[in-house]
Amino acid sequence: MGNSPGLSWGPTVPREVTVTGVYVLLAALAATAALGGAHRVLDGRLRTRTSQDDLRPLVPGEHGERATLLQFSSAFCAPCRATKRVLGEVADVVPGVTHLEVDAESHLDLVRRLQIHKTPTTLVLDDRGREVLRAVGQPKKAAVLAALDVAVAS
Amino acid sequence: MNQIDPRAPRFAAWLTSAVLAVVLLVSGSPDLAGALLAAQAVVFALGSRGRSPYGYLFRTVVRPRLALPTELEDAAPPQFAQLVGLGFAVGGAISFFAGAIVAGYVFTGFALVAALLNASVGLCLGCEVYLFYKRLTNPKGATA
Repeated sequence: MGNSPGLSWGPTVPREVTVTGVYVLLAALAATAALGGAHRVLDGRLRTRTSQDDLRPLVPGEHGERATLLQFSSAFCAPCRATKRVLGEVADVVPGVTHLEVDAESHLDLVRRLQIHKTPTTLVLDDRGREVLRAVGQPKKAAVLAALDVAVAS
Repeated sequence: MNQIDPRAPRFAAWLTSAVLAVVLLVSGSPDLAGALLAAQAVVFALGSRGRSPYGYLFRTVVRPRLALPTELEDAAPPQFAQLVGLGFAVGGAISFFAGAIVAGYVFTGFALVAALLNASVGLCLGCEVYLFYKRLTNPKGATA
């Protein structure tokens, strides 16, 4: 046990504290891995919903013949832009599917009715305007494509 | 609204993570750890005004080697996140200088997790705080 080398001024501290620093660093890395992993898995995950409400009259715009990707966005939302790009690409590629984007802050009635609490939130609507799937956060393109098989089949 | 390349704050987060990791490793000399944190605090303060030295490094050294960004993002949330980092860095520096090593670890550890999450997964916790604050002060009382 001795004093750690370093600055000759200020309080001297026993060597053990530096080892604690390593432990704190490892704990921080572990916490990051856990939180980051959870975020990767959960964020933008498409979850099944059941609803009988036809949303087409409430949301102006071109709804898809087979499905609609309805995205709620807001200002200062970087993931919203990425989601817009992903959903736009999907709508371009899959026939009968359109992408509609709604600004949450100017559609508060709709936001409350649909219980939107975060942006981006994406609703997958079937051909009759009913919500069949929902993703809170930025969805992955492959997941959206797979989800459309469900929406089109129902 | 000021728009920035979204890769810039993530690059800065990697550098921040490295600095904070070094702070933890040299915590055996708390004055050195405090001094490093104080320097990082200056970087945070500059970053909150859009003048981050890490951002400058990104623009001059890294970005010329990259393709154009696919999209831009608003500068306001990441700049606010720098203010949050500033708070933690100041708290940590004061703690280490005062010999409150455990408090220094807590401040540094939390800041490091936030920086690492931002760098590795693109999850900006400070940005989420900013959005929450905006919702609270929105005169329309938005719930989203």
